[in-house]
Amino acid sequence: MDLIKSDRALRELYARWLDIATKAGFVISLVCFLLYAGRVLPAFVALEELPRYWTLPVNQFIRLTGAPSGWAWLGELGYGDGLNLLAIALLGLVTPLCYARLVPALIAERDWLQAALALAQLAVLLAAASGLVAG
Amino acid sequence: MPWWIWPIALFAVSFVIGIVAVLAGVGGGVLFVPIVGGLFPFHLDFVRGAGLMFALAGTLSAGPPLLRGGMASLRLVMPLALVGSVASFAGALVGLSLSTALLQTMLGILIIGIAFVIWYLRGADSAAVGADALAALLRLEGQFHDPAAGMTIDWRTHQTLLGLAAFGGIGFLGGVFGLGAGFANVPALNLLMAAPLKVAVGSSGLLISVINSSAAWVYIHRGALLPLIVVPSILGVMLGSRIGALLLGVTPAAMVRRLVIVVMLLAGVRALTRGLGIWT
Repeated sequence: MDLIKSDRALRELYARWLDIATKAGFVISLVCFLLYAGRVLPAFVALEELPRYWTLPVNQFIRLTGAPSGWAWLGELGYGDGLNLLAIALLGLVTPLCYARLVPALIAERDWLQAALALAQLAVLLAAASGLVAG
Repeated sequence: MPWWIWPIALFAVSFVIGIVAVLAGVGGGVLFVPIVGGLFPFHLDFVRGAGLMFALAGTLSAGPPLLRGGMASLRLVMPLALVGSVASFAGALVGLSLSTALLQTMLGILIIGIAFVIWYLRGADSAAVGADALAALLRLEGQFHDPAAGMTIDWRTHQTLLGLAAFGGIGFLGGVFGLGAGFANVPALNLLMAAPLKVAVGSSGLLISVINSSAAWVYIHRGALLPLIVVPSILGVMLGSRIGALLLGVTPAAMVRRLVIVVMLLAGVRALTRGLGIWT
């Protein structure tokens, strides 16, 4: 396959996955937010209390409200704010997902250099997502 | 004021910024952070976190049509995004460790500077350039059909090392301030690396979606993403970007561009006065 055709096929593959994941992300975010702001689910930090705290730097906010940091929010998915963090995190995983789909396609085309770049990018995104180097 | 006013106001502001950003060809973060940081009561830590997610959501949403139209080049984006995302991650860590007053002041200066850059810079049409060794190795070239001009353009880039260095610096600043940094991506791709203007604009969006994905996790893990601020903003920009894309053909771009520059100057002055403690 020549470079132009190969590029077009890769762009189409990436676009298809990006499109589906982004639309799913939009719907999930909307539903989670309606559950949270509509008070269908309880909030970890009460909605009426938030204006007292959101003027503070993040470290103070966490200290005073006990809000989760790191991966601790995964234990708070029964709360509206915890569930919305999951929706936000899913948007942060859209790009790694698309790159993960791209790698086997690049390997199949024996485009080793681009495959190595995609794998390196995937490693950076997953390291960032893991929180191991976020401090 | 009751709490529910703020997410509604954020949705409205983000929706409008989403429209204006597409029409003006700038990333939305560069408007969102100074406007929300200056006019809303939230701490800048939360505004920057929301700004990154705002830029991420807008560019993810715009990505598929740009890729399908050949305006975003994966081959061009991949090496630049790798350097940019490492730098952006480092920038986010640095940004969360700086004092708010210093950040506000630097943000004000940066935004005012960017407004002048947008004012002075004009896009250049693609010049026929010879690829350097690295560009040839990475095969940074492509072909795209421009329906407006009715022609197919074969392009290739040059000055790859300088381009990589530029995207390291742009990614770092984007991470510090929670910006998508499209204002800098486009000139770096177009004027420095000689990508055609439309490929530069399209690839810039894709670059932001990759680069911001790494910095966003720093804000998630530090607890700096408040759903009540982030979610209305990303829903607003996702809808606004779509409307903006529909209006693109019928809106006088020059007028929108002037409006963006005025808004950025006002928002920049507001951030600066807040940072310097003149008007808090």
